[in-house]
Formats: sequence, structure tokens, C-alpha cells
Amino acid sequence: MKFSFGLVSSLLLSGAPIAYAAAWSFEDATVSIASKGAGVGGASKDKLSATTPLAKTVSLGATDSLKLDLTTVDGKTAKRPHQAFLTLTDPTSGLEESFVLSVKDSGKGKVSLVGITSNCTGTINNSQTQKDLPHQFLTASKPIPASIVIGAFGSSTPYKHKVFDLTVTRGANVPLAIPEAPLRYAPEAEIHHIFREDPKSPPKIITIVFAAAVAAALPILLGLWATLGANVSHLSKALGAAPVSHALFYGSIIAMEGVFFLYYTSWNLFQTLPAAGLVGVVAFLSGSRALSEVQERRLAGLR
Amino acid sequence: MKWLLSFVVLAIVAVVRAASFTGNRLLVVLDEQAEREKYSVFLEDLAARGFHTTVDSPKGDKVALFKHDERTYDHVLLLPAKSKGLGPALTANNLLEFVKKDGNLLVALSSEQATPTAVQSLLLELDISIPNNKGALVVDHFNYDSDSASEKHDVLLLPYPAALRSGLKNYFGGEGYIAVPRAVGQVLGNDSPLLSPILRAPSTAYSYDSKDEAEAVEDPFAVGQQLSLVSAMQAHNSARLTVLGSAELLQNRWFAEKAKLGDKAVTTANRDFAAKLSAWTFKETGVLKVGKVVHYQDEGASKKVNASIPESNPTIYRVKSDVHYQVEISEYSNDHLIPFVPAANDNIQLEFSMLSPFHRLNLSPISQTANSTIFGVAFKTPDQHGIFNFRVNYRRPFVTNIDEKRQVTVRHFAHDEWPRSWQISGAWVWIGGIWVTVAGWLAFIAVWLYSAPAEKSVKKTQ
Repeated sequence: MKFSFGLVSSLLLSGAPIAYAAAWSFEDATVSIASKGAGVGGASKDKLSATTPLAKTVSLGATDSLKLDLTTVDGKTAKRPHQAFLTLTDPTSGLEESFVLSVKDSGKGKVSLVGITSNCTGTINNSQTQKDLPHQFLTASKPIPASIVIGAFGSSTPYKHKVFDLTVTRGANVPLAIPEAPLRYAPEAEIHHIFREDPKSPPKIITIVFAAAVAAALPILLGLWATLGANVSHLSKALGAAPVSHALFYGSIIAMEGVFFLYYTSWNLFQTLPAAGLVGVVAFLSGSRALSEVQERRLAGLR
Repeated sequence: MKWLLSFVVLAIVAVVRAASFTGNRLLVVLDEQAEREKYSVFLEDLAARGFHTTVDSPKGDKVALFKHDERTYDHVLLLPAKSKGLGPALTANNLLEFVKKDGNLLVALSSEQATPTAVQSLLLELDISIPNNKGALVVDHFNYDSDSASEKHDVLLLPYPAALRSGLKNYFGGEGYIAVPRAVGQVLGNDSPLLSPILRAPSTAYSYDSKDEAEAVEDPFAVGQQLSLVSAMQAHNSARLTVLGSAELLQNRWFAEKAKLGDKAVTTANRDFAAKLSAWTFKETGVLKVGKVVHYQDEGASKKVNASIPESNPTIYRVKSDVHYQVEISEYSNDHLIPFVPAANDNIQLEFSMLSPFHRLNLSPISQTANSTIFGVAFKTPDQHGIFNFRVNYRRPFVTNIDEKRQVTVRHFAHDEWPRSWQISGAWVWIGGIWVTVAGWLAFIAVWLYSAPAEKSVKKTQ
């Protein structure tokens, strides 16, 4: 029983194309662009073919409205289909928008799209107004393929073909409100922290020249003192009078500079302070003796 | 004997564990027990995967999603009911609360039965719109099963869905055709990033009201790819809610049905698709787990993520120091953890942020263990001190969310970490000045102490 039913149904199915041999299509199709204020005769009209898309691109200006008229046919007879859409596809994003053709029982169908700013003058048969086109189409850089989809229940082959390309031009003075792209979870752009620039030194040659000038100041100073008669001739006399005090005093002054040098290079304050204190005490004790000796020389008229 | 017993217990535990990542208590809400037969293969498949199914009628006394404010089930499968209401236990509020408490929900709709008001308001809350009236269904005159719906064109035959967009993993892919009989189409709100279509209608499909628009469609509910036949919502807490437009898709009848697409004979792959869909909804696939997070200062030697040592990361770094970061991520796949591999064009990103990210870096896979991938990146801490976060915030449709933060202090240079003055060439002039002064001072003291009077100058001054 089941088998025979399957046989019958498969027979029916295989017979279907012969029996109905029907396919949906359309006839007498025109697409017209009417400019606002151009009057009735101002519209540009193009005949559409169901098999080959229109060679030229249909251009829809800011104030124009597009009107599509056609007669849907099932095989040869004009008939009203269940589905009659004009579908626009954005070639870059793949976004699709379909406009429903209002078809009468006689198969005559029409749809009109309005440009961006029109205040709904040419649209009699449809409630679609200026928001007809999503903003993606208004900003599309490539022509938008427009196809017609006709289909209905039953066994007739549905129809879907590209019929023309549409370019949408926008008036330059028309503000276009493009909504912000909605949040979608995806990897975000990388951020690399931009570091502040490192502090820079002047060219080394300049530094070396000036450092040499500073270093040269010392021999110049010593030379000047020498011309003024500075000398160390009484060193032997002083050491003879108070050898320990003088050696310790001058040594402690050099040692104090040494402590400063160590503090600069490696020591911390807690290493520096006791050392400096020790050197200071030595300088104080030996200094009082050494300076007494200097005073004696001054009183002797030797300075 | 004892070892045998423990082995058996272990085996049972293993069987029980081989299910969802979050739990295996499943509630199936069915209107009539007779309906259960229609879904028996699907329910058996679920039981075989380790789910403990409880089948109950929405009007049953025992149906309760919560007990003592805790979930009594981990997952709920809501099959279409004849009645318009679902009873006091399954209000939209309760269902939402269930999702808020990490429960997963698979809602199956049917165009032959009116969608219960609880489900309608639940979907409305999530910004998923469905046609209001009973009898609204999706047809396509191009991709229908010409065996069972040669006249009505309401059984769609669709290939498995491809990845939603590049950079996303596809958990619903496969070979073959899925029969979608008499589906209720959904339109997803554009604003929510939590919603994503799983199976879209083909571009020639449309949803119409079979009662009012029998002659010709004039104002379709939605058209083409904007119409979603199966859609998913993954909440911020990673709980999942899947809306299946056609409950019939889950019925035994369509699981391996001979169908005909145009002149091509196909066998429907609904059983496989239903398994994939329920596995995703009930957290058997697409679940990510973060293992160990390791970060350390680069001191020449690289450290490895070592599973046996607990995390012991430094809490403080200096500005402008080289830091390594590693994170271990696994993916749960049906019954075990596998290394997570992101889709091509996708990247897991690390943000090093204080209020806003200072660094946002792509993590690259460094190595793999048996059940995890270790992702890592090396970078330099910014020249800004403060409290920073190592943050991996990975959110993608169809995988659970990762938001892993580790807080560290970034301090500035200590006084002894700066370069010494002699290393700075610009300071040489000043350093030279100091030492020339020191030498001059020593020379001056020597002259003052030991200078003999110059004869001429003495005469002059006197």
C-alpha cells in the first residue's frame, strides 16, 4: 500500500512539470524614475526583460521616486502570485531589503520607492515613504543589484532574477543620519602604549668641549696664583715645627674629600656620617695645633 | 571485590559526568504525555548523553524551577503547549530568573499552537520579536521539501549554517540538509550583542500569516535573511537561551526523513542538528575555562605555566619593565576539556589597564597541554605608576565569556634605579666643575698654609 502510494506520488510529481509546465515570470515591466517637479512627462522609463537584466544603471536621485510596474504571469496567463518582491542587495555587506509589490488579481503589480527627501508625492499605492531605503543603500559605493522574486504555492517554478542595477545619489545638502554601528563582540584594535620620550643629552662633542674648558680652568687658576707669587716653600719649615699636626690636618682635609667621593659613588648616608665625623674630629684637633704653628710664623713675620 | 565495586562506581561517575559542563538536571516541559512519544528519540539522545530528564506538564503540581531560592534544574526544554498560559511556575519572570541564576533554556515554538504569553513576554524582554498570532509561519517557494510540502511550501530544507561571521567558531556546522517544518520566524533586535542567529532563513523566504494572507502576502512579518529560524541569546553570565522556531524539527518524524529539494533526494540531518543545538544550549560545547594565569618580570629566563604549583604572581612591578603574561584556556567539548583554539581572524586580547587600557595586545598560543592552550604575550609596563589590571575580557557569540583580572601595583623608579650621573653625558660639565672646585680648594689650602711671602708683593703692600 505504502509502496503504491509512493509510486503514485512519484508519478504525480514526475508528471507535474508536464501537466502544469508552469513557471512564474513577468511581462510588460517598466521601471520609471520620476523627478520631483518634472511633471508627468519628465519621468525616464525603461522596459525590463524577465530574462536579461537592464544594460544601463538606473539612477535614483535625492528627490526622485522609482516606480516599478509589471504584470506577473504564471506560464502564459496573468495571475496573482503569493509572493512578489523587489529585492535590493547591498553587494558589499550582503544586506537585503525586500519591497512588496502590490499585485492585483489581474497580475498587474507595482511598487514605488521614494528618494531620500521627497515628501511622499508620487506614492499613491504604497505606504512606503522616505524611509524606504536603509542608510546602507544610500551610502553604497557600488551599484545595488535589484532583483524580482515571484513565487506562489503549488508546483509552478518560482522566479528570481536580477533585473537592473540601481545607483542611489544623494543631494549634497541633505544631511544623512547614519546610526552608530551597534556593539558586536569581536576583537578590538590593539593598543600599544606610547611612552614619553627619554630625556636627551646634547651631542657629546659639545659636552666634551665645555668639560675641557672647565678642566682647563684649574691650571689657569694655578698659573695665575703662581704669577702672583703663590708657593709652598714653607712646607718643610711647617713640617719641621709641627710634623704630626700638619700631616694630619692636611691629610684629614683630603680624606674628607675622599669621603665625599665615596658617598657619591657607593656609600650611603649611614656609612658617610661616622666617617665624616671621625675625619672632622681629627681635622679639629690637628687643625688647632697646625694653625697655631701658622700663627707663630705670621707673628715671626714669615707670612 | 572492593576494587570491582569502586571501578563500577567510577564508571557510573564517569557516565554521569559525561554531560553538560554545568549540570545534568534537565526539565522537559510538555503539555501531554502523548506528545512525549513524538520527541522520544531526541529525549533518549539527551539521556544517553548523561542528562537526567524530568518530563512534566506545565500544569503539574511538581513543576518548580526553584526550591529555597536555588535552581532545581540546570536546564529547561520548553516544548510548545496547547494552552495559552504556562501556569504559575513558569511565568516569564521565573524563566528570566532561571536564566539569571545560570540556568539554560531551550524554547521551542510551533506555528500550529499559539505561543504562550509567558514565552511571548520572555522573548520580548530579550528583544526577540515573533509574530503574535497563531498560524504565522515561514515559507519559501525556492527551498522547500517537495515530498511533504509540495503544495504549501512550508517545510524548508536548509543546509547547515555557516559561521555567523569571520572570526567566530561554528558549533552548528555539518553536512546535509535540515528540515524546518512550519517554523515561527524571529527577528532579533539589532542593538543587543547578546543575540545571534543560529539558523537564518534563506533570502527568498518570508513569514506570513496563513489565516489573513492566504491569497497574497501584503505585509509580511519579516523577509529573507533578517528572519531567523533558530536564534540564541547568551547572557552576561553566560547562561544560554535558544529559541527554536520549529519544535517539529525535534520530532522523531523528521530525524532521518527522506525529502526532496527540487529534484534532489536528500535525507534530513535533523537528529544531528538537534544534538548540536541542544549540546550548545545545555553547555556541552562552546564553554571556556580559564586555568592558571601567570605573569612575571622578564629576567632573561622564561617561566612556564606549571600546573602543580599554585599561582604565585608578583604583586608589584616597576614602570617600564619587561613583563610576561600567560594564561591557560581550555574548551569543554561534549565530555572533556580540549585545548582552546580561537577561529581564524580572532584573537584573545590582554588589556593592561588602569581605568582605560594602556596596552591591548593579542595573545598568541605558546604551547598546548593535553587539555589546554597556553596563550602569552610579552610587553613593557607603561611609564605611569598606579594600580593596574591584567585583564582578559573575551566575549564572543557562542562561547562563554571570560573576564579574568589580576591586579598589580606599578611603582615608579626607586632612587637607586635611575642611571648614575656619570652615565649621562650632559652632566659631565657639571661633574667636572665640582672636581675642579675640589682640586682648587685643596690647592688653595696648601698655598694658604705653606706659602712663603713673595718679596716684591710684600714691599708693594707695605
